[in-house]
Amino acid sequence: MRLHDVLERDLIKVPLNGETKIAVLEELVDVLVQAKKASNREELLSAIIARETLGSTGLVDGIAIPHAKTKAISSISLVLGITKKPIDFDAQDGKGSQLFFLVLAPEKEASAYVELLASIARATSSASLRRLLIAAKNADEVMNLFFD
Amino acid sequence: MNEPFKQMLVYLDGSEDSVVAAMAAIALALRLEAHLTAMYVINTKALGELVKARIFLEMEEREYRRDIEADADRYLNHVEKMAAQKGVPFTAVKTSGSVHTEVKRYVKENEIDLLVLGGISHIHSRRDEMVSESDRMMRTAPCPVLVVRDQDQIWDLFESLPNVLAGGIDETT
Repeated sequence: MRLHDVLERDLIKVPLNGETKIAVLEELVDVLVQAKKASNREELLSAIIARETLGSTGLVDGIAIPHAKTKAISSISLVLGITKKPIDFDAQDGKGSQLFFLVLAPEKEASAYVELLASIARATSSASLRRLLIAAKNADEVMNLFFD
Repeated sequence: MNEPFKQMLVYLDGSEDSVVAAMAAIALALRLEAHLTAMYVINTKALGELVKARIFLEMEEREYRRDIEADADRYLNHVEKMAAQKGVPFTAVKTSGSVHTEVKRYVKENEIDLLVLGGISHIHSRRDEMVSESDRMMRTAPCPVLVVRDQDQIWDLFESLPNVLAGGIDETT
Protein backbone atom coordinates (compact mmCIF):
# COMPACT_ATOMS: atom_id res chain seq x y z
CA MET A 1 0.00 0.00 0.00
CA ARG A 2 1.27 3.42 -0.95
CA LEU A 3 0.35 6.94 -0.01
CA HIS A 4 -1.53 7.30 -3.31
CA ASP A 5 -3.76 4.37 -2.45
CA VAL A 6 -5.29 6.12 0.57
CA LEU A 7 -4.87 9.85 -0.03
CA GLU A 8 -8.25 11.49 -0.58
CA ARG A 9 -9.16 15.11 -1.09
CA ASP A 10 -11.62 15.05 1.83
CA LEU A 11 -8.84 13.83 4.12
CA ILE A 12 -6.56 16.80 3.47
CA LYS A 13 -6.80 20.00 5.49
CA VAL A 14 -4.89 23.11 4.43
CA PRO A 15 -4.28 25.05 6.51
CA LEU A 16 -4.65 23.46 9.90
CA ASN A 17 -5.65 26.00 12.51
CA GLY A 18 -4.21 24.31 15.61
CA GLU A 19 -1.24 25.95 17.28
CA THR A 20 -0.32 23.20 19.73
CA LYS A 21 0.49 19.51 19.37
CA ILE A 22 -2.78 18.41 20.95
CA ALA A 23 -4.85 20.90 18.94
CA VAL A 24 -3.31 19.64 15.69
CA LEU A 25 -3.96 16.00 16.61
CA GLU A 26 -7.57 16.80 17.49
CA GLU A 27 -8.03 18.67 14.21
CA LEU A 28 -6.64 15.77 12.18
CA VAL A 29 -8.95 13.30 13.92
CA ASP A 30 -11.90 15.65 13.33
CA VAL A 31 -11.15 15.57 9.59
CA LEU A 32 -11.36 11.79 9.69
CA VAL A 33 -14.63 11.82 11.65
CA GLN A 34 -16.19 14.49 9.40
CA ALA A 35 -15.30 12.39 6.35
CA LYS A 36 -17.17 9.51 8.02
CA LYS A 37 -14.11 7.27 8.04
CA ALA A 38 -14.48 6.75 11.77
CA SER A 39 -16.87 7.74 14.52
CA ASN A 40 -15.23 7.20 17.87
CA ARG A 41 -13.26 10.45 18.15
CA GLU A 42 -12.14 9.97 21.76
CA GLU A 43 -10.94 6.40 21.22
CA LEU A 44 -8.92 7.47 18.19
CA LEU A 45 -7.37 10.37 20.08
CA SER A 46 -6.51 8.13 23.03
CA ALA A 47 -4.67 5.69 20.77
CA ILE A 48 -2.70 8.48 19.07
CA ILE A 49 -1.79 10.21 22.32
CA ALA A 50 -0.81 6.89 23.92
CA ARG A 51 1.66 6.37 21.06
CA GLU A 52 2.98 9.94 21.41
CA THR A 53 3.71 9.38 25.08
CA LEU A 54 6.14 6.60 24.11
CA GLY A 55 8.06 9.01 21.91
CA SER A 56 7.18 11.90 19.65
CA THR A 57 6.39 11.17 16.02
CA GLY A 58 7.74 14.59 15.10
CA LEU A 59 10.64 13.75 12.79
CA VAL A 60 12.98 16.12 10.96
CA ASP A 61 12.51 18.76 8.25
CA GLY A 62 9.05 19.77 9.44
CA ILE A 63 7.50 16.31 9.06
CA ALA A 64 5.39 14.56 11.67
CA ILE A 65 3.79 11.14 11.19
CA PRO A 66 1.53 10.51 14.18
CA HIS A 67 0.24 6.96 13.94
CA ALA A 68 -1.56 4.29 15.90
CA LYS A 69 -3.15 0.90 15.61
CA THR A 70 -6.68 0.83 16.99
CA LYS A 71 -9.89 -1.14 16.96
CA ALA A 72 -11.74 2.15 16.48
CA ILE A 73 -11.09 2.13 12.74
CA SER A 74 -12.07 -0.43 10.12
CA SER A 75 -9.54 0.30 7.36
CA ILE A 76 -6.20 2.04 7.05
CA SER A 77 -6.72 5.78 6.87
CA LEU A 78 -4.48 8.76 6.21
CA VAL A 79 -5.17 12.39 7.03
CA LEU A 80 -2.77 15.04 5.76
CA GLY A 81 -2.72 18.46 7.37
CA ILE A 82 -0.44 21.41 6.78
CA THR A 83 0.01 24.39 9.10
CA LYS A 84 0.97 27.87 7.94
CA LYS A 85 3.49 28.20 10.74
CA PRO A 86 5.71 25.55 12.34
CA ILE A 87 4.20 23.90 15.44
CA ASP A 88 6.19 22.60 18.40
CA PHE A 89 5.69 18.82 18.01
CA ASP A 90 8.76 17.71 20.04
CA ALA A 91 10.49 16.93 16.74
CA GLN A 92 13.81 15.06 16.58
CA ASP A 93 15.65 18.07 15.15
CA GLY A 94 14.10 20.45 17.67
CA LYS A 95 12.49 22.46 14.88
CA GLY A 96 8.80 23.08 14.34
CA SER A 97 6.60 20.74 12.29
CA GLN A 98 4.31 21.82 9.45
CA LEU A 99 3.45 18.66 7.50
CA PHE A 100 1.33 16.19 9.47
CA PHE A 101 0.51 12.72 8.15
CA LEU A 102 -1.87 11.00 10.56
CA VAL A 103 -2.02 7.25 9.88
CA LEU A 104 -4.50 5.00 11.66
CA ALA A 105 -4.83 1.28 11.10
CA PRO A 106 -6.99 -1.57 12.34
CA GLU A 107 -5.19 -4.32 14.20
CA LYS A 108 -4.99 -6.86 11.35
CA GLU A 109 -3.39 -4.94 8.51
CA ALA A 110 0.21 -4.85 9.66
CA SER A 111 1.90 -5.33 6.27
CA ALA A 112 -0.08 -2.61 4.53
CA TYR A 113 0.39 -0.27 7.51
CA VAL A 114 4.17 -0.68 7.47
CA GLU A 115 4.30 -0.18 3.71
CA LEU A 116 2.17 2.96 3.91
CA LEU A 117 4.38 4.49 6.61
CA ALA A 118 7.48 3.64 4.56
CA SER A 119 5.83 5.16 1.48
CA ILE A 120 5.18 8.42 3.35
CA ALA A 121 8.77 8.45 4.61
CA ARG A 122 10.11 8.00 1.08
CA ALA A 123 7.79 10.63 -0.41
CA THR A 124 8.70 13.24 2.17
CA SER A 125 12.41 12.63 1.74
CA SER A 126 12.17 14.94 -1.27
CA ALA A 127 13.05 18.50 -0.20
CA SER A 128 11.33 19.95 -3.25
CA LEU A 129 8.09 18.12 -2.50
CA ARG A 130 8.21 19.32 1.12
CA ARG A 131 8.62 22.91 -0.03
CA LEU A 132 5.77 22.60 -2.53
CA LEU A 133 3.48 21.04 0.09
CA ILE A 134 4.17 23.82 2.57
CA ALA A 135 3.42 26.38 -0.17
CA ALA A 136 0.14 24.67 -1.13
CA LYS A 137 -2.91 26.86 -0.51
CA ASN A 138 -5.60 24.20 -0.47
CA ALA A 139 -6.36 20.47 -0.73
CA ASP A 140 -6.63 20.57 -4.52
CA GLU A 141 -3.10 21.88 -4.83
CA VAL A 142 -1.88 19.11 -2.52
CA MET A 143 -3.66 16.46 -4.58
CA ASN A 144 -2.06 17.85 -7.74
CA LEU A 145 1.38 17.57 -6.19
CA PHE A 146 0.94 13.87 -5.45
CA PHE A 147 -1.01 12.92 -8.55
CA ASP A 148 1.09 14.84 -11.07
CA MET B 1 3.75 -30.88 -26.38
CA ASN B 2 5.75 -29.24 -23.61
CA GLU B 3 3.78 -26.77 -21.51
CA PRO B 4 5.28 -23.27 -21.44
CA PHE B 5 5.31 -22.88 -17.66
CA LYS B 6 6.26 -25.63 -15.19
CA GLN B 7 7.40 -23.67 -12.13
CA MET B 8 5.07 -20.84 -11.16
CA LEU B 9 5.45 -18.35 -8.33
CA VAL B 10 2.67 -16.19 -6.88
CA TYR B 11 3.50 -13.33 -4.55
CA LEU B 12 1.26 -12.83 -1.50
CA ASP B 13 1.18 -9.59 0.49
CA GLY B 14 -1.94 -9.96 2.61
CA SER B 15 -4.13 -8.06 0.17
CA GLU B 16 -7.28 -9.44 -1.42
CA ASP B 17 -5.73 -8.79 -4.83
CA SER B 18 -2.86 -11.14 -4.02
CA VAL B 19 -5.24 -13.89 -2.89
CA VAL B 20 -7.17 -13.58 -6.15
CA ALA B 21 -3.85 -13.75 -8.00
CA ALA B 22 -3.19 -17.01 -6.13
CA MET B 23 -6.57 -18.36 -7.25
CA ALA B 24 -5.71 -17.54 -10.87
CA ALA B 25 -2.29 -19.15 -10.41
CA ILE B 26 -3.88 -22.33 -9.05
CA ALA B 27 -6.26 -22.51 -12.02
CA LEU B 28 -3.42 -22.04 -14.48
CA ALA B 29 -1.10 -24.47 -12.68
CA LEU B 30 -3.84 -27.09 -12.77
CA ARG B 31 -4.30 -26.66 -16.52
CA LEU B 32 -0.56 -26.67 -17.22
CA GLU B 33 0.26 -29.40 -14.69
CA ALA B 34 2.74 -26.98 -13.19
CA HIS B 35 4.11 -26.66 -9.68
CA LEU B 36 3.02 -23.57 -7.74
CA THR B 37 5.00 -21.77 -5.06
CA ALA B 38 3.47 -18.98 -2.99
CA MET B 39 5.87 -16.52 -1.41
CA TYR B 40 5.36 -14.00 1.38
CA VAL B 41 8.18 -11.61 2.16
CA ILE B 42 8.32 -9.98 5.58
CA ASN B 43 9.28 -6.48 4.54
CA THR B 44 12.15 -6.03 6.99
CA LYS B 45 13.63 -3.37 4.70
CA ALA B 46 10.59 -1.14 5.29
CA LEU B 47 10.60 -1.97 9.01
CA GLY B 48 14.28 -1.06 9.19
CA GLU B 49 13.68 2.22 7.35
CA LEU B 50 10.92 3.12 9.80
CA VAL B 51 13.18 2.48 12.80
CA LYS B 52 16.07 4.36 11.17
CA ALA B 53 13.82 7.36 10.50
CA ARG B 54 12.57 6.98 14.08
CA ILE B 55 8.98 6.70 12.87
CA PHE B 56 8.88 3.35 14.69
CA LEU B 57 10.25 2.71 18.13
CA GLU B 58 12.13 -0.57 18.43
CA MET B 59 9.27 -2.07 20.44
CA GLU B 60 6.88 -1.13 17.62
CA GLU B 61 9.17 -2.76 15.07
CA ARG B 62 9.13 -5.99 17.07
CA GLU B 63 5.36 -5.87 17.49
CA TYR B 64 4.65 -5.27 13.80
CA ARG B 65 7.18 -7.86 12.74
CA ARG B 66 5.30 -10.43 14.85
CA ASP B 67 1.99 -9.28 13.34
CA ILE B 68 3.33 -9.56 9.78
CA GLU B 69 4.80 -13.02 10.51
CA ALA B 70 1.37 -14.13 11.69
CA ASP B 71 -0.24 -12.63 8.56
CA ALA B 72 2.27 -14.48 6.39
CA ASP B 73 1.47 -17.81 8.04
CA ARG B 74 -2.25 -17.21 7.76
CA TYR B 75 -2.20 -16.28 4.06
CA LEU B 76 0.24 -19.02 3.08
CA ASN B 77 -1.89 -21.61 4.89
CA HIS B 78 -4.99 -20.29 3.16
CA VAL B 79 -3.45 -20.59 -0.31
CA GLU B 80 -1.98 -24.00 0.55
CA LYS B 81 -5.50 -25.22 1.37
CA MET B 82 -6.86 -23.81 -1.89
CA ALA B 83 -4.10 -25.50 -3.89
CA ALA B 84 -4.74 -28.82 -2.11
CA GLN B 85 -8.47 -28.43 -2.77
CA LYS B 86 -7.77 -28.30 -6.51
CA GLY B 87 -4.95 -30.87 -6.47
CA VAL B 88 -2.12 -28.54 -7.42
CA PRO B 89 1.40 -29.38 -6.13
CA PHE B 90 2.36 -26.54 -3.85
CA THR B 91 5.22 -25.07 -1.85
CA ALA B 92 4.92 -22.21 0.66
CA VAL B 93 7.88 -19.91 1.17
CA LYS B 94 8.15 -17.33 3.93
CA THR B 95 11.19 -15.12 3.89
CA SER B 96 12.26 -11.61 4.85
CA GLY B 97 14.12 -8.67 3.38
CA SER B 98 13.47 -6.28 0.52
CA VAL B 99 10.35 -7.59 -1.20
CA HIS B 100 11.21 -7.20 -4.87
CA THR B 101 14.83 -8.24 -4.27
CA GLU B 102 13.81 -11.45 -2.51
CA VAL B 103 11.27 -12.34 -5.19
CA LYS B 104 13.81 -11.72 -7.94
CA ARG B 105 16.40 -13.85 -6.12
CA TYR B 106 13.95 -16.71 -5.63
CA VAL B 107 12.89 -16.62 -9.28
CA LYS B 108 16.50 -16.91 -10.42
CA GLU B 109 17.59 -19.56 -7.92
CA ASN B 110 14.58 -21.81 -8.45
CA GLU B 111 14.15 -21.51 -12.21
CA ILE B 112 10.69 -20.02 -11.87
CA ASP B 113 9.26 -19.51 -15.34
CA LEU B 114 6.14 -17.46 -14.51
CA LEU B 115 5.57 -14.87 -11.78
CA VAL B 116 1.92 -14.15 -10.94
CA LEU B 117 1.01 -10.82 -9.33
CA GLY B 118 -2.15 -9.07 -8.27
CA GLY B 119 -2.63 -5.47 -7.28
CA ILE B 120 -0.57 -3.55 -9.76
CA SER B 121 -1.90 -0.08 -9.13
CA HIS B 122 -2.47 2.75 -11.54
CA ILE B 123 0.45 5.05 -12.17
CA HIS B 124 -0.48 8.18 -10.23
CA SER B 125 2.85 9.90 -10.13
CA ARG B 126 6.09 10.17 -12.01
CA ARG B 127 8.00 10.24 -8.74
CA ASP B 128 10.26 7.21 -8.38
CA GLU B 129 9.69 7.04 -4.63
CA MET B 130 5.98 6.35 -5.27
CA VAL B 131 6.56 3.05 -7.05
CA SER B 132 4.97 0.09 -5.24
CA GLU B 133 6.65 -3.25 -4.52
CA SER B 134 4.40 -4.99 -7.07
CA ASP B 135 5.41 -2.43 -9.70
CA ARG B 136 9.08 -3.06 -8.91
CA MET B 137 8.60 -6.83 -9.14
CA MET B 138 6.85 -6.52 -12.49
CA ARG B 139 9.64 -4.35 -13.85
CA THR B 140 12.59 -6.33 -12.53
CA ALA B 141 11.44 -9.98 -12.65
CA PRO B 142 13.78 -12.10 -14.80
CA CYS B 143 10.85 -14.16 -16.12
CA PRO B 144 7.43 -13.59 -17.72
CA VAL B 145 4.89 -11.91 -15.40
CA LEU B 146 1.14 -12.46 -15.29
CA VAL B 147 -0.85 -9.60 -13.75
CA VAL B 148 -4.28 -10.67 -12.50
CA ARG B 149 -6.97 -7.99 -12.64
CA ASP B 150 -10.56 -9.17 -12.92
CA GLN B 151 -11.51 -10.47 -9.47
CA ASP B 152 -15.06 -11.63 -10.31
CA GLN B 153 -13.94 -13.58 -13.36
CA ILE B 154 -11.18 -15.28 -11.35
CA TRP B 155 -13.55 -16.19 -8.51
CA ASP B 156 -15.94 -17.76 -11.01
CA LEU B 157 -13.11 -19.61 -12.73
CA PHE B 158 -11.73 -20.95 -9.44
CA GLU B 159 -15.13 -22.06 -8.19
CA SER B 160 -15.80 -23.89 -11.45
CA LEU B 161 -12.72 -26.10 -11.04
CA PRO B 162 -13.42 -29.56 -9.58
CA ASN B 163 -12.32 -30.17 -6.02
CA VAL B 164 -10.17 -33.21 -5.26
CA LEU B 165 -9.79 -35.36 -2.18
CA ALA B 166 -6.46 -36.75 -0.97
CA GLY B 167 -5.25 -39.13 -3.64
CA GLY B 168 -6.56 -36.97 -6.44
CA ILE B 169 -10.16 -38.26 -6.60
CA ASP B 170 -12.58 -35.75 -8.01
CA GLU B 171 -15.20 -34.90 -5.37
CA THR B 172 -17.69 -33.91 -7.99
CA THR B 173 -17.68 -37.19 -9.90
